[in-house]
Amino acid sequence: MATVVTVTSGKGGVGKTTSSAAIAAGLAQAGHRTVVIDFDVGLRNLDLIMGVERRVVFDFVNVIAGEATLNQALIQDKRLENLSILAASQTKDKDALTEEGVGQVLDELAELGFEYIVCDSPAGIERGATMALHFADHAVIVTNPEVSSVRDSDRILGILQSKSKRAKEGGKVHEHLLITRYDPVRVENGEMLSKEDVCDILAVKLIGVIPESKAVLKASNTGAPVILDQDSDAGLAYSDSVARFLGEDRPMRFVTPRKQGLLSRILGGGD
Amino acid sequence: MMKAPRLRANRYSLMTLEWPQESEPLADWLKAQREKAPALMDEIAIVLKPAPEHPPEEIRLAVETLDQLDLGLMGLTGSPQHRVVADELGLAWLSSNHGPIESESSHEMVASQSPDTALIMQGPIRSGVQIYAKDRDLIVIGQVSEGAEIMADGHVHIYGRCRGRVAAGVSGQVSAEIFCLTFESELVSLAGTYCGSDQIPEELWSARVRVRLDESSQKITFGLMT
Repeated sequence: MATVVTVTSGKGGVGKTTSSAAIAAGLAQAGHRTVVIDFDVGLRNLDLIMGVERRVVFDFVNVIAGEATLNQALIQDKRLENLSILAASQTKDKDALTEEGVGQVLDELAELGFEYIVCDSPAGIERGATMALHFADHAVIVTNPEVSSVRDSDRILGILQSKSKRAKEGGKVHEHLLITRYDPVRVENGEMLSKEDVCDILAVKLIGVIPESKAVLKASNTGAPVILDQDSDAGLAYSDSVARFLGEDRPMRFVTPRKQGLLSRILGGGD
Repeated sequence: MMKAPRLRANRYSLMTLEWPQESEPLADWLKAQREKAPALMDEIAIVLKPAPEHPPEEIRLAVETLDQLDLGLMGLTGSPQHRVVADELGLAWLSSNHGPIESESSHEMVASQSPDTALIMQGPIRSGVQIYAKDRDLIVIGQVSEGAEIMADGHVHIYGRCRGRVAAGVSGQVSAEIFCLTFESELVSLAGTYCGSDQIPEELWSARVRVRLDESSQKITFGLMT
């Protein structure tokens, strides 16, 4: 039985795709057969973040439409043997995602032996996002520490617990909160919501705090999930988050300002 | 003249028949309406609202016409000088001193036959979610997020932090109240009267608060729940 993990946020640009790639890679590293699906039909990005953009021949929509088999569309990651990618179509729009079609693809993925199916949700609360949510067993809510992102996350949580398949059948989707782009210095100066503030507003269990990091952009540009960069704080924070998702208890790192040396304070460096 | 505020909180569906000074004959118009919607005209209770210029004898004739058509005339409303006519004809006088509740009454109010038990919701009630407890109280266990809307015809109880919008007595029940353990609402409304968070006394922010409508001033009053 495969577990469907939907990565969602409501608001755009908060780090859903980066987090989807990192979580999927982290689960694969932990030895679980994992597939990550891009639900952002029409605005696909996951293939770039995963560095497989030149290998996309058939996509998710082709499989739903019966134009290709799942095995033709699945792209095997070259770094992690447990990881596969199912890209979104760039030419179609989100109406191509039907509940029946998506459900069938997820069932087939489970039959192929995948343990985790990570769904990278598009922003918004329209069809693509609701389809990504519909089959979720777990939801990772990605939030930036600022009020509009937090409010949108709250909205998406409401939709999750009313419109998802589990909710309609009387169950509950497991919720996990992931705060990204966290800057402890700005939190200390009162310019940014603290992780406590965000948890207080959303009332969801926190699985990780990802610090604002240059490594994220670098990882996107090179097409490697940032979790593979274990020299970066973001990569380590994602590793911790995946471990917590899998039930491990780890202390939070990178949530207090780093002590700066006199020299770096004068020179203004520090990253 | 003493006015009875409780009359505004009516719980019955009443139609107001507005009768302007230079209208077509009432009988003809009503007959036409009955042809269009016979079921409706047989069911409704009517309050006649003549224009201020109508002389008493015209009103008497109109009341006779309504009786002949077997329409459920409940009473008169409108300008105060017609109250005498109502008394003479043995009809109820409904003072209509304020607009909004009266206009709501004709569309939304439904008599609650038997008091239901409260609707209980488990929080968090998320942003964008609307909950309406019709004809009964609403109890929320847990928090109400900013951007959520919870409403009830009766009282609203929140056992948690409330940051959303809360409305009690939404069908005009002036006795409805709001009780909240941690009160940070963006908007509260009682029987159609509302106020934003900027009007909540600072010392009651995040406190255990009871919100009610002051009967004489029709203003929302906040107090500590003790």
